Amino acid sequence: MADRRRVNGPVGATIPPVFEDEDVQVQATQRTTRSRAPNGIRKMYLKTGVTPSASGSAYLEIETSGKDGVSGLKLSCTVHGPRSLPRLSPFSPHIILSTHVKFAPFATKQRRGYLRDPSERDLGTHLEAALRGAIIADRWPKSGVDIIISIIEGDQGRETSGAQGDDTWDMMNALSGCITVASAALADAGIDCVDTVAGGVAALVRGSGENDTARIVIDPIPSEHERIEAACCIAYLPARDEITNLWFKGDMPDHDMGIYSELVQQGIQASKLANRVLVESLGETVK
Amino acid sequence: MAPNQHVLLSPAELAYLHEALSLTPPIRPDGRAPTQFRPLVAETEILPGTNGSARICFADGTEAIVGVKAEVERTRGYHGDDEEEGGEEKREQEREGQDEWVELTVEIPGYREDDASTAFLAAMLSEALLADGGFAKKLWINRRFHWKLFLDIILISPPLSYPLPLLSLTTHLALLSTRLPRLKSEGDEDPFFDDDWAAAPYLYPQGTATTRPPITLLVMAVGRNIIFDPTKEELAVADVVLAVSVGEAATDASSTKGKGKAPGRSLRLLSVRTVDPPSRVTPPGVPNATNSAYGIAASAQKQPEARTVEAQAVEGVWRAPRGGAKPAVMAALVQKVLERGGVADEVLDALDAVELG
Amino acid sequence: MPITITAPKAVRPSYAAADNASDDSDSDASSDNGAADLEGDIPMASSRRKEDKSYSIVTPGEVITDDPQWMRGHGTFVSPSTSAIVSSVAGTITRTNKLLSVRPLRARYTPEVGDLVVGRIVEVQAKRWRVDVGASQLASLPLSAINLPGGILRKRTETDELQIRTFFAEGDLLVAEVQQLFSDGGAVLHTRSLKYGKLRNGVFVAVSGMGGGSGVVRSRRQVWTMEAANGAGPLDIVLGVNGFVWISKHVETPEALIAETKSATTGITNLEESVSTTMYSSQNDRIGVETMREISRIRGVVTALVENGLRVDEDMLVRGYHEAVEMAMLGEGPDDIYLGGERGEQLAAALTGV
Repeated sequence: MADRRRVNGPVGATIPPVFEDEDVQVQATQRTTRSRAPNGIRKMYLKTGVTPSASGSAYLEIETSGKDGVSGLKLSCTVHGPRSLPRLSPFSPHIILSTHVKFAPFATKQRRGYLRDPSERDLGTHLEAALRGAIIADRWPKSGVDIIISIIEGDQGRETSGAQGDDTWDMMNALSGCITVASAALADAGIDCVDTVAGGVAALVRGSGENDTARIVIDPIPSEHERIEAACCIAYLPARDEITNLWFKGDMPDHDMGIYSELVQQGIQASKLANRVLVESLGETVK
Repeated sequence: MAPNQHVLLSPAELAYLHEALSLTPPIRPDGRAPTQFRPLVAETEILPGTNGSARICFADGTEAIVGVKAEVERTRGYHGDDEEEGGEEKREQEREGQDEWVELTVEIPGYREDDASTAFLAAMLSEALLADGGFAKKLWINRRFHWKLFLDIILISPPLSYPLPLLSLTTHLALLSTRLPRLKSEGDEDPFFDDDWAAAPYLYPQGTATTRPPITLLVMAVGRNIIFDPTKEELAVADVVLAVSVGEAATDASSTKGKGKAPGRSLRLLSVRTVDPPSRVTPPGVPNATNSAYGIAASAQKQPEARTVEAQAVEGVWRAPRGGAKPAVMAALVQKVLERGGVADEVLDALDAVELG
Repeated sequence: MPITITAPKAVRPSYAAADNASDDSDSDASSDNGAADLEGDIPMASSRRKEDKSYSIVTPGEVITDDPQWMRGHGTFVSPSTSAIVSSVAGTITRTNKLLSVRPLRARYTPEVGDLVVGRIVEVQAKRWRVDVGASQLASLPLSAINLPGGILRKRTETDELQIRTFFAEGDLLVAEVQQLFSDGGAVLHTRSLKYGKLRNGVFVAVSGMGGGSGVVRSRRQVWTMEAANGAGPLDIVLGVNGFVWISKHVETPEALIAETKSATTGITNLEESVSTTMYSSQNDRIGVETMREISRIRGVVTALVENGLRVDEDMLVRGYHEAVEMAMLGEGPDDIYLGGERGEQLAAALTGV
């Protein structure tokens, strides 16, 4: 699909510069390691009602590693609806949810195009599943709601030039942020929900040494860990104790269900912590 | 075909199906046991122009074909002008695969390639394949070159039910039958290969302790019942639907010693995703008590209320499920897939038995 | 074994029902095993078919006869130049009195006036519903053609039009009769008898491809109640001519209710009033486990009959059901209701062998 309306960047992937090894030696040891407790999440800033023209909106910032006060993940969400469906669409007894997640072209290390690529559509599908469980859909027949999320900055530090394959874990972090911010925007728009849903990520990480044991941390920053073996992103409804979306990926040692269950539990924990922030900020807006 | 595509069933049918599937044991519309799959027809190596291919037909007529093609590509990011000695061993240690070396595309008739549902399927399938990080290593030729593997998955018939398990099983078979030409060059020189196709080794050599390609199964839960290989009517009344990818763990000789080892393979969990069930967009039934076309109220023709009062759940009346699923239910679903000698095991056994070529 | 994977088989000949045997065409098919004869030329059929053959297969463009005494029916057309009757579909020739028609082997359902069909509502429009009956077009069910609850004498008002969804909504199943046909072939349905209306308490099966050999055939009785085995109560079966089948727990028929209440109350309008109040309910009654099991079993029998090329009508279905019950008894007991794959073939073999 050629995009002829805009002046696009160079076709093909842009390759970030690769530096000589000798000089980087020093920098490698300065890679930050996780300083938080394994069950603590990063500080977030969440504000609703930032876009007056939309039915509901929210803005989320999550601080990055290393430097205090500098935020790494910035998300903006707007909700339009409930509004009537186009005239010729068939009757629907439930509200029709449409989600649209897009990374800004400058958000990640490798520049993205203006049109949504499959990974963004995948995020949109996950988000839809997560929110559908929370919305009371049959209160709004023949209506639709549009949820549009722009990821302004994707939390990929400069130090990760050598690391490859961290993309999925970044996607999980982005997804959990999307779920939280969308939930805030929905509440801001006044759409009936059974509960506030927030996203949380838990990961099984291992150090670089041979004898390092694997441990489970929540809200991981991929650049802080040598190896991430598995991770899961959970959308959780705390009042009903139900999961609306679960995305797990990784290489589990053996068919040991114990580690998987623990990972899910920690993900729920991360989600609960994020939910507290969400509820607090919603309360503040009301005041 | 999308996971939440509107399946047109009446509320009465949905209530009946839900009740039938909630019994112990559940009564499925076609009479299968909860862990029974529909019979399917499978064959491999149907496309001589590919490195590997497979075709599977389900009993309801859905059919999928997968073709695997490989091309030699220059490895990006290698700037070795250094002539390293150290030979084969060092080279083996440096073997590292990259996820970009595998390109997987899914084509479903009637849907664009960048449609959300197609992207979800493609992401799910490639995730399972690349999760353990070991697959891309097989594609390493030398430090300068690698194989780029193109996996093209085509659903031939229009999708009648959620096609994920069909596509996954077909991909599994295609990968099992994939062969790459035998390397004749050595070291880091430009690769050249043996012309003899019969000498080409399999990507997954048989009989050795290497891992096998993963499979993805669709599991759903209704009440306390766990049901495998659901049809679209069963999906329309599901409480929760999960797509679980499992692979086989590499067994080493030491672990097979000792008595008391449970029969069956050792399975690894590779990925789990919740699938949005179509049950959430199904039309609700109206209980007789509030049905203005039922009972004495109908003949009296009184003016209807402006907005229907939300009723409590009434037996025999269908309501779309709200909220999510309990963590315990999801864990039970995953456990059921992984158990030794359970469903995933039997499916892998059956796939093994399919003759290659 | 929860999963059976088989290698693809060669196409097997479909079971020929006793009255459909066509010797010539069968031997043609089996002689060269379906392969094209590469050596010699494929002989073109002679232009005129012998008329003493009772059933023969024709292809589009093949001249059936140029005898002027025959009238042409479905599946044929008159060739303009020679005024001979030429077949326009691939199928078997049927002759009734002087009417010559060709029944295609597999074709979409074409509605005829008086057909009893099962349909699903797909659209709700201003004063009518659009119903999917498996034909080439959606059928329409006008609001004036349904029984309004409250008896025949209840007048249709504007409230009914605004409340049209309370009668039938999208996705509802109903059984209706084709009242008339539009000029383009679309059907107009009505449910103006107490035996038609919304369906509940059961399951739906679609049998696709109505045609010569298999599928639901037009027969004397399309709706009946049968007694099920293993402690289930009576079951209603509705075989729509369009190939949509409905199997459900027996709902007290309106006629039965009328008969019951006849003695108690007076006046026909009162009876119809009380009876028609349950017509538009979408709430299921309580159904027992045994009933659900037997309903599943019958559904399996229908699917097995279709998959093995047998026709689906009352006779075959009842025999098939009894056969299936016996098979289950010999197998694992009444719980064993799976009839797909091999078991279905076993069932079909038992039926055609009998």
